[in-house]
Amino acid sequence: MSDSSFTPIPLFYAARNIGRSPLRLVLTASGAALVVFLVVGAMASVRALDAGVRASGTLGNVMIVGAGSEESVERSEIPASAPGVLAASIKGIRTTAGAVYISPELHTPLPLYREGDPAPEGSARSLALVRGVEPAAFLVHPQARLAAGRIPEVGADEVAVGRSLAATLRIADGDVERNGDRPRVLIDEHPHTVTGIIDAPGVAIDGEAWMPITDLLVLTKRQTISAAIVSLDGAELGDVEAFAARRSDLEVAAIDERAYYEQLAQFFRPVRLLIALSAFVVSVGAMFGGLNALDASFASRSREIAMLQVLGFSRTAVIGSLMQESVLAVATGALPAVLLARLVLDGVGVRFSMGIFSLSVDATCVASGLGAGLMLGLVGCLPPAIRCLRSSIPVALKADLV
Amino acid sequence: MVTTEPIIRCHSLEKHYERGGEPVRVLESIDIDIARGEFVALMGPSGSGKTTLLNLFAGIDTPSGGSLVVDGHDIATLSRAALAHWRSRSVGYIFQLYHLVPVLTAYENVELPLFLHGLSGAQRHARVAEALEAVQIADRYSHYPRQLSGGQEQRVAIARAIVGNPSLLLADEPTGDLDRAAATGVMDLLARLHRERGQTIVMVTHDPHTAERAQRIIHLEKGRLVEPLGAAR
Ligand SMILES: Nc1ncnc2c1ncn2[C@@H]1O[C@H](COP(=O)(O)OP(=O)(O)OP(=O)(O)O)[C@@H](O)[C@H]1O
Ligand SMILES: [Mg+2]
Repeated sequence: MSDSSFTPIPLFYAARNIGRSPLRLVLTASGAALVVFLVVGAMASVRALDAGVRASGTLGNVMIVGAGSEESVERSEIPASAPGVLAASIKGIRTTAGAVYISPELHTPLPLYREGDPAPEGSARSLALVRGVEPAAFLVHPQARLAAGRIPEVGADEVAVGRSLAATLRIADGDVERNGDRPRVLIDEHPHTVTGIIDAPGVAIDGEAWMPITDLLVLTKRQTISAAIVSLDGAELGDVEAFAARRSDLEVAAIDERAYYEQLAQFFRPVRLLIALSAFVVSVGAMFGGLNALDASFASRSREIAMLQVLGFSRTAVIGSLMQESVLAVATGALPAVLLARLVLDGVGVRFSMGIFSLSVDATCVASGLGAGLMLGLVGCLPPAIRCLRSSIPVALKADLV
Repeated sequence: MVTTEPIIRCHSLEKHYERGGEPVRVLESIDIDIARGEFVALMGPSGSGKTTLLNLFAGIDTPSGGSLVVDGHDIATLSRAALAHWRSRSVGYIFQLYHLVPVLTAYENVELPLFLHGLSGAQRHARVAEALEAVQIADRYSHYPRQLSGGQEQRVAIARAIVGNPSLLLADEPTGDLDRAAATGVMDLLARLHRERGQTIVMVTHDPHTAERAQRIIHLEKGRLVEPLGAAR
């Protein structure tokens, strides 16, 4: 005689039961689908933000920024002459075929939208980070590569845009290569021709607009630039720091570019928390909706659950079967939700204040979505299951149908 | 009569419930022996404790006092898990409202308790086929409960109760929800199981006509055994 206390109820019992009330199944499944979709979406956003910020720094790069503005390049101001002084003062800056790896840059968020489109309401949504650069920018930022068209020319009101910004502006590679009929955008209400598309997958640059720094100085009526990015080859951070200290008249500070973006990623922690929290709050709502249906579906079966125990199935077996059923019901929503999230969210550009990052619904995101669904199914069925099993068998057998 | 040890032996059996702090004495000093192979009807007015007594026999309720030995097991001393295991081997229970699983076919409903017996698929199939044959419903294998009449549903439920070859078959008003013709059919079936297989049956009923089919009638009133009016049959 085998011990039947661990004999499970066959899986087909749970599988058949999920189809018992199609309406309840739809409610449970859509609640679960919403939760899973949100978890995948939140996870993908957080990871994109984090990865994007971190990948934006390059090993061996040092940023010269205004003293006291080490935390935000956008707020930083340094004299336009500083890069030249630096180049003359420090040995060990990287060069290739005579080109020096020093990139003077002006970073400023400006309203940017396609000419002919209605001006977007609320400036925040249409702000793009516009970076004034010289050709050396492509040397110090190896993540950036001109993918189509050409680099904007000085004094011609031209601009190149990152791949994901181009996507939001509905600009394709072919568009920027059509001489004389290139797409035009308004930057701070000034028309500019888009001459090129820059590929910088997964980093902030992908959501930026690059234009000649002299043009951007004129456009923003500024005399100072934001920063100079230097790639070192032989020199060290300490040398540049010593330079900054020596030339206190320039009022600059030197920081490691990777450290800068690491710290920026820290700065975005509240944003990540906010994303996670809002996903959580909406999830809880969806979860309760879904679980309520599950709960009703179990409660209406308390007699049947008692009958299973009369047959000799243990309470453990009953809980196991209800868990299977709940996980199956949740899975009917969770699996399509994960697929949908992959189809809809993967590659979508998400605009954060520091640029646009493209979401990647990778294995980790899929796993967390499915994990959330599984947890939902397992944990969610426990309260109604325990409630069903709490009453004694004779009482449950007499229970009125709900 | 069968002369071996009784399958049910209860002595001074008590069952109390708490209601609003007050104990409700549902069964009081019940002494009954039921022999193996006996067919007993349990009668009495509503609320007299018939279902409670049957549930004690089935090990789904526990006695408050006295002793109850069913098929060699002292019910009061077994754990819940042990009772469940014992039930899967020894007890077949028939409900007034059938309690078939609506999403399973007749065949699957009958097969369900056999999963507790660790049988192979072929062994289960043979047993289910035999049980459905015995209740004369073998042509309704793939019907769902909603596609069956009440009488047919109860037959499937009886097949489910006997498929594990229980030593004790308990039935709580098995014909209570059926019309006269269907009820007669179900009673014919129970009588045949008793006659042909020597099945021990304890059946609760309100209906004197139905009770007549049993070998012995036990009367309960307000939780006590009573001699029926005009006794001595
Ligand atoms: N869980 C319980 N808690 C309190 N009292 C109970 C409980 N179960 C049964 N009773 C009481 O026990 C008494 C007997 O109930 P039982 O169901 O055994 O009666 P019965 O003879 O089967 O009646 P019927 O013919 O109506 O089915 C009733 O008075 C009932 O109210
Ligand atoms: Mg009753």
